[in-house]
Amino acid sequence: MSTILAITRAGPLLTVQDAGRFGHLADGISASGPMDAMAYQLAGALAGADHAGLEITMAGMALKLQSGRCRIGLAGGLFVARHNEHILDWPGSVVLETGDELTITPGAAGNYGYLRFDGELGLPPVMGSRATSSRARLGGLSGRPLQVGDVLELHGASGAAPGPVALPEPQDGPIRFVWGLHADLFATEIRQRFASTPFGISRRLDRMGVRLDDAAGVFADATSLSLVSDAIVPGDIQILGDGTPIVLMRDHQPTGGYPRIGTIITADLDRFAQLRPESTVEFAPVSVDHAHQLLRNRQP
Amino acid sequence: MTGSPVIETFPTPTIVTLGDSALLVRFGTALTEPANRAAIALATQLNHEPLAGVLEVVPNLVSVLLRYDPLQSCRADIVGELRLRLFALDPAAVSAGRDWTISVHFDGPDLDSVAADLGLSSAEFIAAHNARPVRVLATGFAPGFVYCGMHPDNLVVPRRTEVRPMVPPGTVLFAAGQTAITATELPTGWHIIGSTDFDNFDPAAAAPTQLAPGDQLHFVVAS
Repeated sequence: MSTILAITRAGPLLTVQDAGRFGHLADGISASGPMDAMAYQLAGALAGADHAGLEITMAGMALKLQSGRCRIGLAGGLFVARHNEHILDWPGSVVLETGDELTITPGAAGNYGYLRFDGELGLPPVMGSRATSSRARLGGLSGRPLQVGDVLELHGASGAAPGPVALPEPQDGPIRFVWGLHADLFATEIRQRFASTPFGISRRLDRMGVRLDDAAGVFADATSLSLVSDAIVPGDIQILGDGTPIVLMRDHQPTGGYPRIGTIITADLDRFAQLRPESTVEFAPVSVDHAHQLLRNRQP
Repeated sequence: MTGSPVIETFPTPTIVTLGDSALLVRFGTALTEPANRAAIALATQLNHEPLAGVLEVVPNLVSVLLRYDPLQSCRADIVGELRLRLFALDPAAVSAGRDWTISVHFDGPDLDSVAADLGLSSAEFIAAHNARPVRVLATGFAPGFVYCGMHPDNLVVPRRTEVRPMVPPGTVLFAAGQTAITATELPTGWHIIGSTDFDNFDPAAAAPTQLAPGDQLHFVVAS
């Protein structure tokens, strides 16, 4: 019997994600994929399979298993998950049976949680991926976020127990970056202040980018430069013409013409994505070699 | 300019860091014909004979992006091989792109004002715009979007001061000595001179976009 689940509550940006739609930047499509890639991987390990899953935002979600059974894995930030009325561990794993309800609500920390299954979602890959691109409006279910009433089918779900899963150590401290494509266009004093001043995470954040509050006015006097449009990568910290810093995330535009002072390192981009609005963030420069070392050290 | 494809030498490239998982080879910091041709030539070469450890090669207006996985490959090795390829990059060996004929309905809301700004009637502007083929300078800004140029100096107008919130796919845009074609809805500060039925984005196709950097576009008036 196939496994069928129905979405009974959905925040506005509940999306299907897989590892990402890589290789299509020349077509004008950034890769998308999970905002917190490590948490996405952990949820997959807890589900015991590597299939596309759901990215949950602070608005949470709920679903009901209409038929069949499946194992789920949950990870990312700190959400509150209920299996029927029973509160689950987070991160955690459980088997859902026909008629079961799963409810996920915001918890103590984080912006993004992941719900993964031991079956493959019955959704067609688009350009090689099921990841939803909020920018290009493709992938996932008809290129849109999931809504109440959406019904998803899982293929191959069995509920089998996953292998042993190591939980990562929580990370702390400043967000590390490498100096960016246009770092040389910023005065030394501005670069020094950027790396020594706390910034705020603003409320204007989504899968495309996170706007920072620059209360200290580090970029208040930034002059608008006319630059030739160039490649963007996730984690790029660009300064808009009005001096607003914005960190470009997984659904970033593939190219852009605003100056970029730095790029958040891969090892810290997941952690940055989980910083909630009104929290503060400090940035610390590292070398590319150091960034690579930190990435290798992070691997479980 | 278009029609003078012979370039004796390419500009000197600079290899720039772009985060910890990408490199950028820049042939300049401003849009010039030689820098653009060099970027397209390098990307074509690297896509034809892939560099070990490089996951994706993307030409931009004056640069080439190389993505790599730092857990799988060594940045220094890629840079070493890349330098050898750059030494061997030969302007004389660059092959011409494909030729396309693009039919345009020249009925955009900004057509008359663009022509007037250039001291031309609308008919004269259309004739001048279509007089010579233009190259696809870059893709990638949005799905299926292409920048084409460069038009001669007497066909250069600045962008609009106001951004239109959304224009439909197939809109033909004009500014900064270039013509651009949209393939999805997007906001733009460029002038709208017309529209085309040519669709450069089909996510269901094996190749979602057809136009590639270096291709030559021949614009004609749609009948």
